[in-house]
Amino acid sequence: MQGSLIDTLARQGITRRAFMKYCATLASMMALPPAAGRAMAEAMAAAPAATRRPSVIWLPFQECTGCTESITRSHSPTLEGLIFDAISLDYQETLMAAAGHQAEEALHAAMKANEGKYLLIVDGSIPLGLDGAYSCIAGKSNLETLKEVAKGAAAIVAMGSCAAYGGIPKANPNPTGAVSVSDIIKDKPIINIPGCPPIPVVMTGVLAHFLTFGSLPEMDAKGRPKAFYGETIHDRCYRRPFYDQGKFAKTFDDEGARNGWCLFELGCKGPVTYNACATVKWNGGTSWPVESGHGCLGCSEPDFWDAGGFYKALSMPADPLKIASAAAVAGAAAGVAISFANRGKKSAAKSAHETTTLADLEK
Amino acid sequence: MPLDAIPIVVINAAAKQSGDEAGLSGNAPVLLREIAELARRLLASGESSAIDLRALPLTPADLDWLRETLGQGQVAATLEAEGESTLSETVCPGVWWVTHRNETGAVVSEFIEVTYFPELLKAHPDDVQTGLEHLDLLISDLS
Ligand code: SF4
Ligand code: SF4
Repeated sequence: MQGSLIDTLARQGITRRAFMKYCATLASMMALPPAAGRAMAEAMAAAPAATRRPSVIWLPFQECTGCTESITRSHSPTLEGLIFDAISLDYQETLMAAAGHQAEEALHAAMKANEGKYLLIVDGSIPLGLDGAYSCIAGKSNLETLKEVAKGAAAIVAMGSCAAYGGIPKANPNPTGAVSVSDIIKDKPIINIPGCPPIPVVMTGVLAHFLTFGSLPEMDAKGRPKAFYGETIHDRCYRRPFYDQGKFAKTFDDEGARNGWCLFELGCKGPVTYNACATVKWNGGTSWPVESGHGCLGCSEPDFWDAGGFYKALSMPADPLKIASAAAVAGAAAGVAISFANRGKKSAAKSAHETTTLADLEK
Repeated sequence: MPLDAIPIVVINAAAKQSGDEAGLSGNAPVLLREIAELARRLLASGESSAIDLRALPLTPADLDWLRETLGQGQVAATLEAEGESTLSETVCPGVWWVTHRNETGAVVSEFIEVTYFPELLKAHPDDVQTGLEHLDLLISDLS
């Protein structure tokens, strides 16, 4: 492990061993074999002079900058941020010093120099209404820019629920005609990192994978990295034993809430939400929404904003997520505790009892 | 309320079905064979390997059983790097139990490494070089 990254880290007070430990943990979180941790450490630390680091172009479209905040202002900025020292971030409006024509020049220079090789990160949705006039950069609609920059990209990372699924801009009645990256680009590998905002380590994990192996990690049916979105919040929730016992908080200040019981009846969308909050947590592992006493909003699922109300329990009618929720509830009714291999059982339970209700659970 | 105040322990579903109160899933004993295989490989080819304990369907009880069964050997090292890490040899020389913790003390990853000496503990030549420069500085201060 030689090269400038390790020197940069050393200047920030991060030792080689801390870096190796970080990579080992990252590989473990991504369900990669232990040897991959060493490979990651070597590949990233080997990044030599700035010009030869993999080029990354980051385009912000119709977004709130929350995703950028999440990634760049994490608890230990030096460690999460170290991945950014291993790449050459050639265009990122929020972070770059250049502006105006200079910025556009940087974008086009990077596209030309790294044609077919750069990684494109997109945050924000793309508005199609009024010919894309709702969001323009340098006189071009987001749609035009995306198509132009995607052409020469090796792969695209759709960061945050807006880029991945349309997100909040797409919420009913979708005034700007917002769509996701994958609605437009069909001929490039795209990985979705949904979340409103996404968890920083998911982003760094995907970047580290790309830097090390030159490819995107394994994905699920919704284009998300399986390692982080393989299980529901509910499957890994520490309040799950209360759910299994039918102990639910009914309001935010009742005895159940004070005792830390399950938040299902207060609208928790954990059972139908695939994300890593319950294990990785937020703010450097300090806590996560359910631990702070609030149900999961389902922010990493498509159309979470229109899923029938944040405080409405999943089993209530008129709920677009209903079918999936019946499956999850049935799994619990069948007595499946938190386990690593309960998915087969869950689908069996799903076909066995399609319409389990909360009342059944409380018996 | 603090998490550990909740008087409930999660018991693995598989263990529940087999009626095992202790929460053992039966997955840990199999690991001993795998470790033996890796130790044989180390002897035959000198190749080190590791098992990611987080990647396996092991309950806390399974981990405890494995840790206890493998026992504590003669060597234990502590590494302070963005949280504490412990690397301790089990009673089987060459089989190391490695636990990484973050700044708040939570376990972030855990491995069994089968190796003559864990890579993480070795000093890198570049770091030795840096240390040497420091030593030279100390020596020049003497005069
Ligand atoms: S419903 Fe929500 S609070 Fe209850 S166990 Fe599931 S994820 Fe946890
Ligand atoms: S707990 Fe749910 S709503 Fe909250 S950040 Fe995680 S996935 Fe999103």
